[in-house]
Amino acid sequence: MRARGLAKAPDAPLATIAKINGAQKLAALDARGAALGLRPGMNLPDARAMHPALVCADADPAAEAETLAHIADWCRRFTPLAALDAPDGIMLDVSGAAHLFGGEASLQADVEARLRAQGFFARAALASTPDAAFALARYGGEREGRILPATLDAAALARRLGDLPLAALGLDPATLKALAEAGLRRVSDILMRPRAPIAARCRPELYARLDGLLGLAKTPISPRFEAPAFMAERRFLDGIVRREDIEASILSLARDLSKLLARHGEGARRLEVSLFRVDGAVMRFEAGASRPLREPGVIARLFRERFEAASKANDGEAFDAGYGFDVIRLAALEVERRDEEEADCFDIGNRQGVQASLKAADLADLIDRLGARLGVRRVTRLAFHATHAPEFAVTAAPAAQYADKGHHIKPAAMARRAAFADEAGLLPARPIRLLPRPEPIEAIAGVPDGPPLRFRWRRVLHEVAAFEGPERIAPEWWRRDESALTRDYFRAEDTEGRRFWVFREGLFVSETARPRWFMHGLFA
Amino acid sequence: MTSVMHGYAELAATTNFSFLRGASHPEELVAAAMARGLAGIGIADRNSLAGVVRAHRYEKANRTADFRLAIGARLVFCDGAPDILSFPRDRAAYGRLTRLLTRGNSRAQKGACLLRFSDLLEAAQGQQLIVMAASTFDEKDGAKQAATIYPDLGDAGLYDTNHVERPDGASRLLERLRKAANGRVWLAATMTYGRNMRRDFGRRLALAARTHLPLLATNDARMHTPERRPLQDVLTAIREGEPLDRIGLQLEANAERHIKSDAEMARLFSDAPQAITETLRFLEGLRFSLDELRGDYPEELREGFATPQAALEFFAREGAKFRYPAGVPAHVEKSIAHELALVEKLDYAPYFLTVHDIVRFARERKILCQGRGSAANSTLCFCLGITEVDPAFHDLLFERFISPERNEPPDIDVDFEHERREEVMQYIYTRYGRARASLTASVITYRARSAIRDVGKAFGLSEDVVGALSNTIWGRSSSAVEAEATRRAGLDPTEKRLAQALKLAEELIGFPRHLSQHTGGFVIARSRLDETVPIMNAAMDNRTTIEWDKDDLDALGILKIDVLALGMLTCLRKGFELIEKHYGEALTLASLPAEEAAVYAMISRADTIGVFQIESRAQMSMLPRLKPEKFYDLVIEVAIVRPGPIQGDMVHPYLRRRQKLEPVSYPSKELEDVLGKTLGVPLFQEQAMKIAIVAAGFTPSEADQLRRAMATFKHVGTIGAFKAKMVEGMVARNYRRDFAERCFKQIEGFGSYGFPESHAASFALLVYASAWMKCRYPDAFACALLNSQPMGFYAPAQIVRDACEHGVAVEEVDVNRSFWDSTLTEGALAAPHPRHASMRGDIRSTHKIQIGFRQIKGISEADMQPLVALRDKGYDSVRDLWLRAKLSPSVLEILAGADAFRSLGLDRRAALWAVRGLNRAGDKDDLPLLKGLSWRAVEADARLPPMPLGEHVVEDYRHLSLSLKAHPVAFLRERLAQKKILRSEELATLRNGVRASVAGLVLVRQRPGSANGVIFLTIEDETGTANIIVWPKVFEALRSIVLGANLIAASGRVQIEAGVIHIVMERAEDLTPLLTLLSGDRGSGGKIPAEARADEARRPNAPDSRAPREKIQPKLFADASAPASDAELRRVLPKGRNFH
Repeated sequence: MRARGLAKAPDAPLATIAKINGAQKLAALDARGAALGLRPGMNLPDARAMHPALVCADADPAAEAETLAHIADWCRRFTPLAALDAPDGIMLDVSGAAHLFGGEASLQADVEARLRAQGFFARAALASTPDAAFALARYGGEREGRILPATLDAAALARRLGDLPLAALGLDPATLKALAEAGLRRVSDILMRPRAPIAARCRPELYARLDGLLGLAKTPISPRFEAPAFMAERRFLDGIVRREDIEASILSLARDLSKLLARHGEGARRLEVSLFRVDGAVMRFEAGASRPLREPGVIARLFRERFEAASKANDGEAFDAGYGFDVIRLAALEVERRDEEEADCFDIGNRQGVQASLKAADLADLIDRLGARLGVRRVTRLAFHATHAPEFAVTAAPAAQYADKGHHIKPAAMARRAAFADEAGLLPARPIRLLPRPEPIEAIAGVPDGPPLRFRWRRVLHEVAAFEGPERIAPEWWRRDESALTRDYFRAEDTEGRRFWVFREGLFVSETARPRWFMHGLFA
Repeated sequence: MTSVMHGYAELAATTNFSFLRGASHPEELVAAAMARGLAGIGIADRNSLAGVVRAHRYEKANRTADFRLAIGARLVFCDGAPDILSFPRDRAAYGRLTRLLTRGNSRAQKGACLLRFSDLLEAAQGQQLIVMAASTFDEKDGAKQAATIYPDLGDAGLYDTNHVERPDGASRLLERLRKAANGRVWLAATMTYGRNMRRDFGRRLALAARTHLPLLATNDARMHTPERRPLQDVLTAIREGEPLDRIGLQLEANAERHIKSDAEMARLFSDAPQAITETLRFLEGLRFSLDELRGDYPEELREGFATPQAALEFFAREGAKFRYPAGVPAHVEKSIAHELALVEKLDYAPYFLTVHDIVRFARERKILCQGRGSAANSTLCFCLGITEVDPAFHDLLFERFISPERNEPPDIDVDFEHERREEVMQYIYTRYGRARASLTASVITYRARSAIRDVGKAFGLSEDVVGALSNTIWGRSSSAVEAEATRRAGLDPTEKRLAQALKLAEELIGFPRHLSQHTGGFVIARSRLDETVPIMNAAMDNRTTIEWDKDDLDALGILKIDVLALGMLTCLRKGFELIEKHYGEALTLASLPAEEAAVYAMISRADTIGVFQIESRAQMSMLPRLKPEKFYDLVIEVAIVRPGPIQGDMVHPYLRRRQKLEPVSYPSKELEDVLGKTLGVPLFQEQAMKIAIVAAGFTPSEADQLRRAMATFKHVGTIGAFKAKMVEGMVARNYRRDFAERCFKQIEGFGSYGFPESHAASFALLVYASAWMKCRYPDAFACALLNSQPMGFYAPAQIVRDACEHGVAVEEVDVNRSFWDSTLTEGALAAPHPRHASMRGDIRSTHKIQIGFRQIKGISEADMQPLVALRDKGYDSVRDLWLRAKLSPSVLEILAGADAFRSLGLDRRAALWAVRGLNRAGDKDDLPLLKGLSWRAVEADARLPPMPLGEHVVEDYRHLSLSLKAHPVAFLRERLAQKKILRSEELATLRNGVRASVAGLVLVRQRPGSANGVIFLTIEDETGTANIIVWPKVFEALRSIVLGANLIAASGRVQIEAGVIHIVMERAEDLTPLLTLLSGDRGSGGKIPAEARADEARRPNAPDSRAPREKIQPKLFADASAPASDAELRRVLPKGRNFH
């Protein structure tokens, strides 16, 4: 949030806020906020009264989930089996992998240190069941206490875990409250008591989770893991180094992926190439598509553009291949339904009758390619903006975004809206062509608000034969500089039938003694 | 210029009472029209007459011969018809217009008005109509409501008179209109520099020619000057709920819709000069003035009497006989005769009869009531039973209530029990009918906080910034955000956008935002009220309000009666009932034994928790110094701790004189009469006014204007003139300048919060009554207070504690003993706390209080009704209760949580376990055959750990907001003692000026507006309460602790004055986390509690958690600063109530 410039005061405590039951409440806090005695769940006004300097941003669960997903993604460096444990956890299956990182303790230290370096506070725990790992990561005390040796017997396990609070079982708040009211707060409180009376008063999850914690029941882990929807992978005995080789592999991976996608009637909207270096480093390149993609060539080209852009930014080298890559993976991270006919025009090559859709696809591809090379934000299209100020009525918006939302711009409709809003036969209110900036003209006109009688524009003198106006447009006081003046626009037709859009700048007397005149547009 | 006729009247002026549309006050529009030399102005708000009285008042005060104000409304139809301005020609037509609007209001929910074109046709007689170009009806006018009420609503463009393709629609509409109002229909033409201004104008001309209707020039003004354009745009943004950047085309393109001069309008309409002249012809047809509305009060004839006056005289004499059973004294006779004569002269008898009847109704229903305010100056009101204070006895002057010179209606305010006021209100509706009686409105205006909030949103400032800005304002301030406060909130007030927002917010302050219902002001009319003012539905069911507020009514001389709600009356009535039931003593406000020394002794000790008015911290610290000995001392006590005297710095001089530390002297001989009763120090509103008259040479009506100028907000300009006049006037008469300035300051304070003497006297009677009850029957008093909650200054916990300290036993809530209300049962009085030992002989209580179910949070009376009804000889088990009373398990859980099963031998934990063990569905006990059997499977004993007492206490607070078992702080005493934190009762043993520390639950934080930002903190430990003073500097440094702590430790110097002990805070610590020790879970074993950390981990880019902590003093308790999971605890324990 600080990075986004939300906080002007760098020392101010930070919080996210969410609307809960109609009241603004703190959702989460940074360390400063917590140190000042603020707590999640507090009403915002109360918190503000205590600390007027508190900086807030609306909680964004989607962004938080996304961040968590990114972290989970990043965690695949440790194991391919990384899963989300929303809202705040990540579960890694490191069976048989810990030794690669110098044992469990150093794996744990490595995870925590690397995440901390990225600015995340993380607590890692290792145990032989997901339930136990879940519990220890959150309630397991100091670092060494958060590793549960697989060799403990039942009694030792009960001793080790008995002191954990029942919240460590991941139970719902109502169950926890009911148990606390009965004086049952720790795992041992349950373990030492008869099952029947407690089970009769609680939801069955209690004992299920308890058994999971103690390793008596193995909670199935697979549903908790997510893998990319569609993925193709190639392994090499010797690491490959050259960019051409890599790009060639990507093309062949793209063919595999394309078949996979076609079989499911999907196209890729977000793609990722992962390059796994022999020494363990992973490089990722992501590319988005503005339409569901399936064409291997297009996919490969996207990444070629990405590498090209990366190498420009990085002294001519797209990536540091080091001793080479031994695994290359191409994954479709996001997919979308794709109609078969549209695919036809590429794959089967029915060139007649599909010109229109071909064009649309070409345009989308062009936007993607330009976007991949120049940056998505720098490929723009014109869009309407609701304002009275003529030069701001049109703005440039990212083209990909438009394609995204299905806001295809229909130039014909646009022109109609601008030009023919009024009845047929009369001059439209806005010119077909707006000059990039108003050009000063010399005009003779009556005060205070009369039309121009004749004017000189680009050294040519025009006699006004007919006019309409004035249309008075005052400056947008809240964003333009204060010196901006009110304009009186006229639609003027000269003696030769040419039609112009001119304006007087400044109200006579009240704003200026000598209004100036400008040419701002031409009618057809 | 040629000799074109210059006269012009702007007839389409929209004020800011067209909420969020008009950008100028009605007064501003009228003033601008006058200043620009117009012939007149027509005020026409959207389906409303809410702003017209203000325009009228202004025009009347600045009346000139050649300016006319036209009163009308802009009718906005929901069926697509163009807006039509309707101006009534005479009183009858005005009545038709208000009925039309009332009808539209009655169809819609609060705030909207749904009219159809056909409605206007029915009301068109006597109206002059101006047809605008198009309809402006939109979502905000209730388009959605309209669609549900009128599914048949036609195409919105049907009547669009400007629509080229629909000339037929326009002609048809105009034809129908002409039939209904022949010769009184005009077509409006505007020249506001729009996109197609000339084209539209041409079309308008053509339409006029085709329909033979005259064209009338207007500027469709929405502001008085073009400078209001920014505010106008902001209002639009607020209305649309979108920031300025985004609503673009919904804003006006320019600033042309303001009041223009006649010359400018003539120039604009040079193509159609007759449109300008028509405005004058239009104005000439109007003869109606709002002054015609006066004097439409019901006749109030009483059977058997020829006139209302005769009836009033009879009731007054009867009442006098009742008030003075030993014979009516001569001076009372004289007063009555004098007052009756004046009432007859001013023809107010019906009004008094109305109030008399309402009070009679309340008495019949045994609803306690008492008049307040200036009515207490009237012997007549006293004899009629409207007030309870004998004005003759207290030397109060009737002329302060009604005077022929002031020529304004009397204003009688009557308080009723807050729980039963609705009965009185419904009686008034039934008696007079909804067409004749209605509540007055109160105009909700923008205050600093709401203005900055809305303007901030319009500017697209983030919630965060807006929140920060509005939170720099404490309470209901009406002054703008200060630059300093802005900086403190981390914002730069010079940044352009922010500066603009702040400036516009300031401009917006005082703008009406919407109409709300007044707390209890009733207007009653002889004929139909809806022919005087539009009536609308209030937010509450069964209530209607008119569109005018009390100032509007005052200005028009329309009588109103304030039917107010007062919690203490509820409490007193309940207390009287308890005393009669349990002690056989029948009491009323009037028959209470007067002037008992024991009562004053108690008050002088500041033993006043629960007593009306004098229970606040500020009042309590005053009592031992003032030592009231007689009723009039109470009157002063009530009036003195008010912003007026405090701002005027009159309190300390009075106290010094009262304590005989300073001789009583008078600023002058002439003021001796005025200030004699108050030892030469002005304390009451009347005295301040009187000083202006006697010492500064004001006329009585000027003095009254002065008071009004202070009371009504944002009448800039006038105040400075008044101040100069008063101060200079007094200096010229040889008064000291500083005294003069203090007097003026006091009037400023009185403006909004002043107490006239009579009002203070009425309130003082309730002070005495409640104090008497507390002194004699603390059991009945506490019980009545508990049953009247929420009210007053203290929470039930303090009321109960105070009762216990006075020797009253209090029993915990129990399923076998409690009723919905708290009750009194036989018991014995214990010895009172040593602190109250002197009262031992005064207390007559012999009962104990059984806490009622109403004290349990989250339970309803309906739930408990079967429990009580079916209880019989009592319940013998949870199961028995479940089966017999058929309570839902969730209700049973709440009862168990409230520890209400002790009579069954079950404590909270056991009861909850039992409730949760009821097999909730398909239990065999449900089968009718087995219902009587008590057999059930024996289940294994779960051997639950016993609940520690500390946890019980916390749970008591969670469910009941109080605990009879122990005080939470008691559990921490050992640890507190180690740190040399004293018990609050130990403070009394200290010397003035030493340093000491106390700790307790925060009960009240009070920041009186008049105390220069000082905060008074009341905290409570197991031995009593302690009072902490926090100076603003210390507060700013310790803000989070002072405002956030539930349990606080405060250290500082002890200050003892006249037996009142304060600690002046120097350091403080939030000890709330220590309270987690009370619950069964003894800490978290040194492990990091997950909640705090988990939240931290959830955020990306969290700053290094090693960031420096807030720099405060070293902590007393290491574990009190650990990031403990105390959020839950903070919710359960009292947070302390904040009073501004």
